[in-house]
Amino acid sequence: MKKILCVLMVLVLILGIFVGCSPKEESAGSQDNVSENSEPEGANTSEEKQTIKKDEIVVALDTDIVSLDPQGHNDTTSETVSFLLFNRLFRLNTDFEAVPDLVEEWSQPSNTEWLFKIKEGVKFHDGTEMTSEDVKFSIERSKESPNVKHVLAEVEKVEIVDKYTVKVTTKVPFAPFLFTLAHAGVSIMPKAYVESGDDWTNPIGSGQYKFVEWVSGDKVVLERFDDYFDKEEMGKAKKMVFKIIPEGTSRTIALETGEVDVIATLETIDSDKVKENPDLTLYEKPSTTIAYAGMNVDNPPFDNPLVRKAMNYAIDKDATLIVSLNGAGSIAESVTSPALLGYKAGPYTYDPEKAKELLKEAGYGDGLNIEIWASGDERKRSAEVIQANLSEIGVTAEIKMYEWGAYLEATNSGKQPMFVLGWTSNPDPDATLTPQFSKGSIGGQNRTRYVNEKVEKLLEDGRVELDLEKRKAIYNELHETVMEDAPWVPLYIKNKVVGANSQLKGVELSPQGLWDLHKLHY
Amino acid sequence: MRRYIFKRLLMLIPVVIGVTFLVYFIISLSPGDVAAMIIGDGATEESVKELRTEMGLDDPIIVQYGRYMRGLVIGDMGKSYATGKSVASEIAARFPNTFKLTVLSIAISIIISIPIGVISATKQYSIFDNFGMVLALMGISMPSFWLGLILIIIFSLRLGWFPSGGAEGIKSIILPAITLGVASTASITRTTRSSMLEVVRQDYIRTAKAKGVSNRKVITKHALKNALIPAITVIGLEFGVLLGGAILTETVFSWPGIGRLMVDSIQRKDLPMVLGCLITFSVCFSIANLIIDILYAYIDPRIKANYQ
Repeated sequence: MKKILCVLMVLVLILGIFVGCSPKEESAGSQDNVSENSEPEGANTSEEKQTIKKDEIVVALDTDIVSLDPQGHNDTTSETVSFLLFNRLFRLNTDFEAVPDLVEEWSQPSNTEWLFKIKEGVKFHDGTEMTSEDVKFSIERSKESPNVKHVLAEVEKVEIVDKYTVKVTTKVPFAPFLFTLAHAGVSIMPKAYVESGDDWTNPIGSGQYKFVEWVSGDKVVLERFDDYFDKEEMGKAKKMVFKIIPEGTSRTIALETGEVDVIATLETIDSDKVKENPDLTLYEKPSTTIAYAGMNVDNPPFDNPLVRKAMNYAIDKDATLIVSLNGAGSIAESVTSPALLGYKAGPYTYDPEKAKELLKEAGYGDGLNIEIWASGDERKRSAEVIQANLSEIGVTAEIKMYEWGAYLEATNSGKQPMFVLGWTSNPDPDATLTPQFSKGSIGGQNRTRYVNEKVEKLLEDGRVELDLEKRKAIYNELHETVMEDAPWVPLYIKNKVVGANSQLKGVELSPQGLWDLHKLHY
Repeated sequence: MRRYIFKRLLMLIPVVIGVTFLVYFIISLSPGDVAAMIIGDGATEESVKELRTEMGLDDPIIVQYGRYMRGLVIGDMGKSYATGKSVASEIAARFPNTFKLTVLSIAISIIISIPIGVISATKQYSIFDNFGMVLALMGISMPSFWLGLILIIIFSLRLGWFPSGGAEGIKSIILPAITLGVASTASITRTTRSSMLEVVRQDYIRTAKAKGVSNRKVITKHALKNALIPAITVIGLEFGVLLGGAILTETVFSWPGIGRLMVDSIQRKDLPMVLGCLITFSVCFSIANLIIDILYAYIDPRIKANYQ
């Protein structure tokens, strides 16, 4: 009896090994096989590719949207859907420049006054025409919403000039104003609809697509709006379906089987899989998401600028990029991404010898003990690389991991040592540099507690300077100063990675990810 | 019997109060600021503070809890902090999905596990028994997310028989139901086998055999009924576990169920939504247990006598 049992166990084990291995081995060889078996729209043989004819585009999202009210959310997933349903006065193009969307022409009678004339004949999905009444209403409503009121905090008042023109007055001269008007929270919505009390179950906008249904946790379905005001920017496909697939591997498989046409957020670990598959195409573009190791400048040893500089020389950024992100990005040489106005690279390179010298000069020649805090898998891997790098210059680092909510609180407690974190920039540099490096943001986003009077002055100047070239020079100097003081070791800038069916046309990326989705079609 | 059922349903009230009380305080004590999470990036300190006051988060926790309970008494589970949608309607939209999946996977596991358990017990130490038990061991040991992915790779990527996720049509429920069913199949099989083994050794079975009743009849008529009681207990427990614990399976198969809703809500510290999900779970779990207890009575008259 025991013998039989033994034999059985061995058999099961062998079976298990085969089951575990076969998917990997076959995936390269059985490509043709797969195509033959898959759905008709994905079917092709190795000799001849059948063209896909489909009027419905399925986009895979990793999380559900938060709200259909464009002023009821402040996250990129909800924005993806919002941007198709609504228009704003300005929009961002793929290079992150603010270009007119609803606005026909605009002018500045004074430093704080802006005149916007919207296009005539813009129709909402219910057939009514958009007027300055709706614009005034939407901007004023955005100032009431807890989610987006910070976006237009600088706006003092909105006045109607005529049926298509509004005058907006800002509290102070405010250079980033056009960028803030491109935020989803400043979407123009029909006043009549919002006041009807429908509570956003059937949202009405003016965008290329109109709302059909939202099945919570499952999908959002949109349909092309044939009365769209700009005939050149019409939606290409008739139907647009957003499918929520939280698990990364499942998303990739859905792309492989043809169930979805494009993945807005592809797991970096799956990039090679998509690249190797002839039916799929990988798109990459540098984002504005930067990873950094911040240092609390209030407490020793990081209160000494020499130590902070030493850290900047000691950390091998290439290694953190490869270990943390599988190489899907580029190393960061300053506190913002190169896509931003006034970007300037810092002076540091990977140089452990120089780091040792600086430490010696700072009085830590005999070694030093520090803690590195982190949260989440990606940051943990960065922290481990930093730990290894630092051990080479005689610094012993201990890694301490936190749950996300606790981490945000701990890194603001004042006790934080070195911590690994990320930040996604809006297109205007002010929206990054003020929260990160101003005195007023200590206790908020300024977790390094960095204060420099010169930086305060430059931030102030940058906000009010309306001349682009002068503004650029101000931010150049700001980047230089902050990098010299070195409250951060910038690590890397993440790539946005999108996977799509090779035959899908109109796939465009901005630093924020998949962009202008109305252009997607077969 | 009716009085017993009524009494058990009344017991739900303290259960719900206990659950809400514990969860409310645990979540409130956990770190992280709800208001800051709702507003997201770029928020100023003032706007976070303002929102906190507006949402009543500055009040003592006991006051907040009282306010929540007052709403609950009149059937108002509140609005989600994160999305502003009504908790009750959100749960009503998601719960049928979870329920369908749970019922189907339990059905699958009962159909497979009871016969295997019975045959394994009656033919103890035979090849069939060994094979069945090894299978059961594998079923228990396999993590559901792994099994789910393997099933997706084989049946949707390679063979193209089923969709890899979503909740559209009957086809889409098959793979998640199997994934969920496998683990419970394993434990129900093992329980059936061991209780069956115990029962077939008892005197009344020997008596029945001595009277000349056929082996088949002894098993189906005399032994199975008594052996089923522990198995039904396990089925009831599994039902409760599946309702609340299908989170991994729901995630792998993008199944829009209540388990995922709860995990997402916990991460967002969306207290009303978490509480809504948990109340649903505990009520379901209690009702499942009640049904099991009633089933006992039908299977075993001695237990029925106890209820009266």
